[in-house]
Amino acid sequence: MSSASIPASGAPRLAGAQRKLADRLGDPLLRGLTTLATLIGVLALGALVYKVFELAGESFSKFGLGFVTSSEWNPVHNQFGAADFLFGTAVTSFGALLIAGPVSVAIALFLTELAPRRVRRPVATLVELLAAIPSVVLGFWGIIVLAPAMSETIEPALNSVLGWIPLFSGTPAGFGLLPAIVILTIMTVPIVSSVTRDVFATVPTELKEGAFALGATRWEMVRMVILPYARSGMVGALILGLGRALGEAIAVTMVIGHTPQITASLFGTGDTLASRIASEYQGATTTLQISSLAYLAAILLVLALIANALARLIVRRTGLRGQAPSSGAPTAPATTPTAPVTSPSGALPHPGAVAPAPGGGAS
Amino acid sequence: MKTRKIGALACAAALALTVAACGSSNSSSSNSKTLVGAGSTLVAPLVSVWQPEYLKEHGVSVAYSAIGSGGGIAQITARTVDFGASDAPLTEDEFKEAKEVVQIPWALAATCIAYNVPGLSNHLKLTGPVLAEIFMGKITTWNDPKIAALNPGATLPSMKITPVYRTDGSGDTFAVTNYLSQISPEFKAQIGNSTQVKWPVGIGGKGNSGVGGALKSTPGSIGYIAIAYVLAEEFDYALIKNAAGNYPVPGIASISAAAAALKEIPSNNEVSIVNPPASAPAAYPISTFTYSIVPLSSPKADTLKPFLKWAITTGQKFGPKLDFAPLPAKVVQADEATIEKIG
Repeated sequence: MSSASIPASGAPRLAGAQRKLADRLGDPLLRGLTTLATLIGVLALGALVYKVFELAGESFSKFGLGFVTSSEWNPVHNQFGAADFLFGTAVTSFGALLIAGPVSVAIALFLTELAPRRVRRPVATLVELLAAIPSVVLGFWGIIVLAPAMSETIEPALNSVLGWIPLFSGTPAGFGLLPAIVILTIMTVPIVSSVTRDVFATVPTELKEGAFALGATRWEMVRMVILPYARSGMVGALILGLGRALGEAIAVTMVIGHTPQITASLFGTGDTLASRIASEYQGATTTLQISSLAYLAAILLVLALIANALARLIVRRTGLRGQAPSSGAPTAPATTPTAPVTSPSGALPHPGAVAPAPGGGAS
Repeated sequence: MKTRKIGALACAAALALTVAACGSSNSSSSNSKTLVGAGSTLVAPLVSVWQPEYLKEHGVSVAYSAIGSGGGIAQITARTVDFGASDAPLTEDEFKEAKEVVQIPWALAATCIAYNVPGLSNHLKLTGPVLAEIFMGKITTWNDPKIAALNPGATLPSMKITPVYRTDGSGDTFAVTNYLSQISPEFKAQIGNSTQVKWPVGIGGKGNSGVGGALKSTPGSIGYIAIAYVLAEEFDYALIKNAAGNYPVPGIASISAAAAALKEIPSNNEVSIVNPPASAPAAYPISTFTYSIVPLSSPKADTLKPFLKWAITTGQKFGPKLDFAPLPAKVVQADEATIEKIG
């Protein structure tokens, strides 16, 4: 190539006649290929959603919206209903979030504030490696290691100490809602902690130092500066984790016990939407059963899409700055980058590049 | 720069040509020398022994995916495989949906009732009605008087009974529900007889290994698993009283006795040998045939028919080591007549 002009980006500024054929083709080709790729992606999503809803049509016309509240799932008698699975999905996902939330915040705080600098990178990588464990391996570990530990040690201990709460009453067992919650927690902690860590890293050092200068202890600084600042970012991270937990099928189906029921005790067995689809689809022989499983899939799709859309909305509204100013509607400061939150490692700017928040900040 | 671009174009062209060549060579060889099947996990160990032997003898490679009996029926209905395998015979509706298929019983095994009760020895004695009540949730503790009456002298703990069942579409589920439906009309009405049923109590595991894992990690549990798995993993298993009043040990001898009690074979080849009559004193009550399901007219009939014929004759000698009993002569005869109809 000529050394005369090596542009950093964009088409070479040569006169028309001097442009090579390849360069002339390059622009339209680029536009064509990228548009094609985008179209394929969007159409794939549309086609998938359409096909699922179409497959669910037979079950929908037989059961209608009552399917969502019906608690009967019996392939032999051709009765199907989603209520038990909605309950199971809700309990396992929110149970996992309840544990994963504080744990992830603690991990993020440790990695941004408290850990010695040299330790941060390795420990952060280790936590993110948790997300790399294939879900079937986790389910396998659940059957071989977690289930016996649950039935012999953990659940009896919970029963003896907290047995007066209905949540921990009943007979300890190896399979059930509690092992499923534990496995889902292990799967959501890496995501939530990673995003939360990135959010904490954007807290301006000026604010933190200001708090110290006013005599705050480290805990007070965390409570008064970091947590309020990162509040909506943390909510976005939690909802991302929720999206992951909602859709997890294989690991859950291996330990949850596959019983469609609504039970007050976490020791009991249950089933979730994703787990039921995964375990019954291959063996389903009647078209009504297949259609009912597709109906479950449609419900799951809707839930997952809502969770994802909600996460993006929350993050975008406050631009990751996290502050709900006491004056009312949150306003994104002018220099806020619209960094995507979806990738765990995040494309977030260096903290120093972000302008300090307007004065009505930390409460 | 220019050479790099030319190089990139050349690579892309080569890749495209290779893919096209692969595509065409696949389609030309699709009819020769391969068979694809899917279905029952019960027969999977036997098929995996058949595969190398048949390849050695006849040069045909057989691919088999053990996705469960229900999956096998679904796949052959959609004609995405050349043969399906199911422990459960097809129902009338399934025959209609599958359009022009025949079922060929090609192996004979049993489903055992395994349990995990610390302190209890092997070979607990149970009867069909008691088993039905356990799985319906009517008998809830191991020291129930009905169980104690069958096992005088055994120390039964007061542990809760947790039934374990298969979550996937399973022929073992079919065999057990078939047996219990014949024993107990209440079981038949409440739960029914199929590859996937709604069990009122208990926990589910995916596949034989899932049930095994659930049994191992849940003290006080009882579940049904294919005999080969039970013997290989050395689970404790129950002895079930047969119609003659005996408690035969599940094995080749008692399975063959159950099959020998077969009087005649119906035209659709549905041979149910659960709950054999009292005229078979040594028969194990939960023995089951397993079927291969093939279309009446198949593009691979020339490869399929010899394979099926081999499976029901030469292939049977590999069975006993895996706890499959050899097919009785009556069944082989009926099978060969059915295979002739394929074309």
